[in-house]
Amino acid sequence: MIRIVTLAELDPEALAFATKRLYAAFGVGVESAGQARMPADASDGDAFFADRVVTQARVVKSFSDDKVLYFTNAPLALPAGPMGAGPVFGFAQYGGERAVVTSHGLSGMPLAEGLAKRATHHVGHLFDLHHCFDPRCAMYPEWAPAFAQFPDVALCPFCREKSEHKIRLAGS
Amino acid sequence: MPAAGPQGPEILIASGAVHIGDRVVYPNQGICRVRGIEHREIAGRSWEFVTLSREEDGATVMVPREKVAGVGLRRVASDKEIELVFDFLSAPGGDPELDWKVRHRAHGEKMVGGELMGTTEVLKGLHALARLRPLPQKERELYDNARHLLVQEIAAAMSLAPAVAEDNLDYALVPPDGMKRKGRTLIAAQPLRAVPPTLAAIDGEEDLEDAGGTVELPGLEDEEAVIAEPAVEDSSEADQVVAPKKVAAKKKPVAKKTKPAPKSKPKGKAPAQGRSKSSPKAKSKSKVAAKPRAKRK
Repeated sequence: MIRIVTLAELDPEALAFATKRLYAAFGVGVESAGQARMPADASDGDAFFADRVVTQARVVKSFSDDKVLYFTNAPLALPAGPMGAGPVFGFAQYGGERAVVTSHGLSGMPLAEGLAKRATHHVGHLFDLHHCFDPRCAMYPEWAPAFAQFPDVALCPFCREKSEHKIRLAGS
Repeated sequence: MPAAGPQGPEILIASGAVHIGDRVVYPNQGICRVRGIEHREIAGRSWEFVTLSREEDGATVMVPREKVAGVGLRRVASDKEIELVFDFLSAPGGDPELDWKVRHRAHGEKMVGGELMGTTEVLKGLHALARLRPLPQKERELYDNARHLLVQEIAAAMSLAPAVAEDNLDYALVPPDGMKRKGRTLIAAQPLRAVPPTLAAIDGEEDLEDAGGTVELPGLEDEEAVIAEPAVEDSSEADQVVAPKKVAAKKKPVAKKTKPAPKSKPKGKAPAQGRSKSSPKAKSKSKVAAKPRAKRK
């Protein structure tokens, strides 16, 4: 089950679309778990640290193997790595439980499709998926122009099979 | 006999010694933690095993102590080594090896060796190849495995979240606008000009044409030049927007037409070029040529 928590006011139609696309991509139930407040400690002035958001946001009661996805419209940031700071549209605990996605900075894509594709991308990380080189796959790096070029929210056969395998192995 | 220090006994590996509790990298398995030394009686013989626990899932790996130095166990990479990885990934070039036998052998050796740079070379090589044509299933799995090992090691070495490590990996491979590496601005990824071929699993060394399309990616002109045939004689063909391999494939069967089929070939078997990197047209022609011979016999 994927539980969706909103951290800001978002277009209900875009959320409904994202919910449907998540269900289609992973074949697991998706439901809304209400609204929560953005953790103030995660703020860095201009943006919110995405890794802090997922650890500090309201805990949602869930069964083991459930995934919690937070939606926001605020700009996100992450600690700089060896390549420096890059664009951040979300963050997921790889193979873990929680992810956050923002609708901020969507350009070249309609809100509903953009949000759904980003959500699918980060939920994919929760299911152990890595980035994919197929530009039509939702696991393609989100900052690349080709990500917005293919608005269809879908996984390539390899990523789909890998996520299905992971879901089949889930204890619950 | 190794001396027992404050961290337990010394376990000798190829690059020095490790102790219980240290993090090491096991080739093809990823980051492991040395848990201890166990004695087991197997088939009437007493064995001393070094027990490792894979960090990712807690799986136990047991290695006979006398073989530890030879299995490719090494320490987690240092910051300097990680910097070299990113230098290599962000450097231009990296033409893919097009001969699948050479590629298969080289990638296999690098993965079994377990060296950080070897894994990086596999990732970069397959990434470059994936921009030209879809990867066969086995190589797609190898690409994913190499990426996984690299992400885990970068995350462990630099104390980063794996998602951050992977983003940084792709900042080097698919640079966003304005990304710099050591003062040099990297060429940003551009929108695609044509729809790439489908990623349906294709068998072994099938041609790009078999996959139903061509990949035309900006910034790949140099790589395409490498695999292009030396010369295109017909100027009308040169004007067409066709992938270099296609041009080569169109020209090959024409050359074969003038060559009579050797009679000594085994019956029913296509000529040698049938499995080479020629076009499907060439394959079908060789099959047609083989039919009358089969009927005669």
